[in-house]
Amino acid sequence: MQTTIQEQEGNIIAILEGSLDTAAVPETETAMSPLLEATDKDVIIDCTDLKYICSGGLRIFLGVLKSTQEKGHQVFIKGISNDVRAVFAMTGFINLFKFK
Amino acid sequence: MAAYTHLDAHAQELLQDYRQLRPALEKLAQEAYEILRQALSQQGIYVTAIEYRVKAEASLAGKLELKGAKYKTIRNITDLVGIRVITSYSDDVDKVAAIAKRIFDVDWQQSVDKRKLHELNSFGYNSLHYICRMPSGDIPFELQMRTALQHVWSTLVHDTGYKSDVKIPQEYIRQFSRLAGMMELLDDEFSRLRLVLADYRRHIQSLVKSGQLDEVPLSADAFRNFLQLQPFDRLNKRIAAVNQAEIYPVSLMPFLRVLQSFGLETIGDVQHFIEENTEDAYQLAVSQLAITDLDILSASTALQNLCLVYALKQGRGREGIKAIYDAINGEDPANAMLADMVFEQASTLPFMNAKE
Repeated sequence: MQTTIQEQEGNIIAILEGSLDTAAVPETETAMSPLLEATDKDVIIDCTDLKYICSGGLRIFLGVLKSTQEKGHQVFIKGISNDVRAVFAMTGFINLFKFK
Repeated sequence: MAAYTHLDAHAQELLQDYRQLRPALEKLAQEAYEILRQALSQQGIYVTAIEYRVKAEASLAGKLELKGAKYKTIRNITDLVGIRVITSYSDDVDKVAAIAKRIFDVDWQQSVDKRKLHELNSFGYNSLHYICRMPSGDIPFELQMRTALQHVWSTLVHDTGYKSDVKIPQEYIRQFSRLAGMMELLDDEFSRLRLVLADYRRHIQSLVKSGQLDEVPLSADAFRNFLQLQPFDRLNKRIAAVNQAEIYPVSLMPFLRVLQSFGLETIGDVQHFIEENTEDAYQLAVSQLAITDLDILSASTALQNLCLVYALKQGRGREGIKAIYDAINGEDPANAMLADMVFEQASTLPFMNAKE
């Protein structure tokens, strides 16, 4: 699992590649911590190459969402695969996020 | 600095005092504004605007030219600092006044309720003016309180030069009065409507609480009240038990339009919808979740599955499922994929086969 943080056009972007399974949760959470510290930016989570997401991964996304919304900004999920989208749908979290 | 040489010696002296007092006036204006703003906020009173100003030197010079002899000292001029509170409703003017009385020392000798100055059959400037001082201060300031409609009338009348040197013919004065009367009527009607709506909300709340759900129309207010009864809690917990999942709280209000699109008209209809579809919604959720180890669910899971099941039982098919996702997630071509997935999962469940 690889996580890359970038800034582009005033947004902060996390690019996730691989499987966000239980084993990958701690390192991904640490890698995504800059998203929690960003105070004046919208957040984009690029899931184009994210193959799988577990409950721990959903919790990371929810943490980013809560933190970003508290600062008056938005979280967008980009390039999500059908399998990962299905997880968001069956857990009922799909309408919390905006998809690009 | 303008000289204002046309003013007499007394007026010149008052003007000089004003210049010296100006920093204290600025400080007073800001402090009084801030104290009032905080007090209104603490009492939960929403006002359209609070504004403050220190009287401009030119404006004061104009006033002194007209009636400078009336003021012995600069502190006899009570509107050097002005604060104006504009409320949405006429009832709120009195609430603001009550708060002002509590936080400022009000000089009742000089305060005027212009609302009470009119004859019973005349209409005009309606505003409540208090002359106040800070509890620890001695510089007076004027606090004007009026509704947004009174403010509009007053501003427009001022812009027309109603109080200018040119004498306005009686017929035009009558037209201003007619408009003031209309504004007063509108203010009263808005206040009355607010009371009626507050009563209606309380009535709906009591109907929901007492279980008379068939009498409650399905509106945003009613649905919000209904949600306080946690009508989806039991099904959520049952679904969550499948994977010992935690339930993450989310708003269910986006589902209101889905329920309305089903033709449900009362909260009673929603209750029947829950009762009639709970078992099938549980089966659908289990068919999705049991093959995963997902142990976190949104609090919308129960309602979402209830909606999906209802649409399928109504024969709305994939399009019906997609319409639900479009309504709660926003329109997205990917919703068609989700609809296909749900349709496929549901196809093996008893309620789908019973239909066939």
